[in-house]
Parts: sequence; structure tokens; C-alpha cells
Amino acid sequence: MSAANAHHAHATGALPPEPEKATLEGRNKILGFWLFLGGESVLFGSLFATFIALRNQVLDGPTPDHLFDLKIVALATFLLLTSSLTSVLAVQAMHRHSLQGIQLWLGVTVLLGLGFLGLEIYEFVHYVHEGHAFTTSAFSSAFYTLVGFHGGHVAFGIAWIGLIMLQMVWKGLTVVTAPKVYITAIYWHFVDLVWVFIFTVVYLMGKVG
Amino acid sequence: MVTEHGNPAAGDEVKRGHAHEGPKNHILAFILSIALTVFAFLAVIYAHVLEAWFVIGFIVLLAFIQALVQAVFWMHLKDRGHFMQRLFLAGGALVAMMCIVMAVYWVWW
Repeated sequence: MSAANAHHAHATGALPPEPEKATLEGRNKILGFWLFLGGESVLFGSLFATFIALRNQVLDGPTPDHLFDLKIVALATFLLLTSSLTSVLAVQAMHRHSLQGIQLWLGVTVLLGLGFLGLEIYEFVHYVHEGHAFTTSAFSSAFYTLVGFHGGHVAFGIAWIGLIMLQMVWKGLTVVTAPKVYITAIYWHFVDLVWVFIFTVVYLMGKVG
Repeated sequence: MVTEHGNPAAGDEVKRGHAHEGPKNHILAFILSIALTVFAFLAVIYAHVLEAWFVIGFIVLLAFIQALVQAVFWMHLKDRGHFMQRLFLAGGALVAMMCIVMAVYWVWW
């Protein structure tokens, strides 16, 4: 977007093509959020390090190979991957200035996120019944800390996107609300990106040994 | 929301200044992500005919490729003016990798 167009849009009161980057505040929010994601990467990195170091210390508890059901993991992965696509479609709807489109795609994202969270809760309850509780072994503690922390991020994301959707109902799409939509989408992609490493390192590597 | 302001030329000018990126790249990134995921699951399902170290190396490589695809397309890192964003994520990822390598392969073993 050229500066001339931005100035023109401002003068006529029209929303610029990329409303999330129209104000300095919006651009700073996005930049600051990326710094936060850098920190989040380190946080998850330390949890992955703990898990990889302790993943064979099962004590008397069940082994990862015995515990994990790849069908549930595949379904959860599919739900979260699809929700990451729908959240980027919400950002594209925002670039078309379609409030309806934003609400539709964010709504689908929240529903898919809820499906993922439901599967994870079912999975954890099932594991506890199998004798794999938080304090069973170093492996179980590291597993629940890493995967639970990711699930917590999903739960937070669902609440956050839900509240942004609610705010959009009465505030509409403006240069103030646009960066919020953009940032929640970036957050959601990051949560999906971390899941790629979780299904690889925790579940698939758990099956291989 | 877009409001009509009785000046069609102005609206045209704004539209011409910015070509909307279609969903094509994002759908392609989705198909690629699904394909990489399916390959990783298949590699593990048929792991018994392969060496374990090879399967682990293969699926970890696929995970990194998928993460890169998603960061570049879905998180818009390929777009102009994303230098600091790339720097922050790459910096975070580098420290995270150092955490894993040092904790697991240096301190623990």
C-alpha cells in the first residue's frame, strides 16, 4: 500500500486495504506480538527439551508405545491444521473488508479449536484411567506439562478469538479492531505450528521408540 | 466497514493501489501441510521395516519443513516488511533449539 493511497483513504474516511497496518499503534502491536512469540518459542523449547530428556523414564507406568492411539492424534492434527487455514481466511476476509467473512471464518476456527480441545480432554481422561497420571513417572509429568501447556494455549486462543468476535459485533471493523483480528490469527498459527512438533516428537517418536 | 462516500473514483484508486492476495497460496500451504503430516504418520506406521533412527530423522525433518511452510505463508513471513518478525521468530527458534541440544544431548546424557 502506498503512502499516497493511505493518506487518501484517511481523508475520505474509507478503511485502507490492510487496516491492521494502517496505524502506528497497529503496526507496533503486531511487532510486539512477534517478540512475544519469540519468547514463547523458547518456553516451548525448554518444555520439549525436558520431554525429550525424560521420555524413556517410564518407571512402572505405561510406555508411550502402549499408551498412544495414532487415530485420535491424526484426527486432532487434522482439526488444528484446518483451523489454522480458516484463521488465515479470516484475515483475507478482513483485507476484503468483509465483517461477515471475518465472523464466519473466526467462528469456524473456534469450533475446530473446541473439537481439538475436546479430543485432548478425552485423551487425558483415558490415559489417567490407563494408569498414566501426572505423578506416575518422569515421562508422564513431562508429557502432561508439554501437551497440557499447548492445550492451555488452545483454550486461551478459543476464549480470546471468541471475545474479539464479540467485540467486532458492536465495534465493527475499524483500524482499532483490525490489528486484534490479525494478531489472534498469528497466535493461532503459532499454536498450530507448535502442535506440528508435538505430534512429531511426542506421539510419532513415542511409537518409534 | 466500507462506506460509500459518493466518490467512485476515490474507491477505484484505493482498489488499484492494492491487489488482493487470493486464497490460492494458503490452500496450497494447507494441502502441503496435510501431505507432510500423512507422510510422517505413514513412516511411523511402517516403521518396523525401517531403522528407528532413520524414521525419527525423517519425521523431524518433515516437521521442520511443515513449520517453515506455515510460518512463510500462513504467518505472512514471505510478505514485504517482515524483517523484524523473521528475526524474532528465528531468534526464538534458535534459542529453543540450543535449549534442546544442550539439555538433552549435553547435560542429560
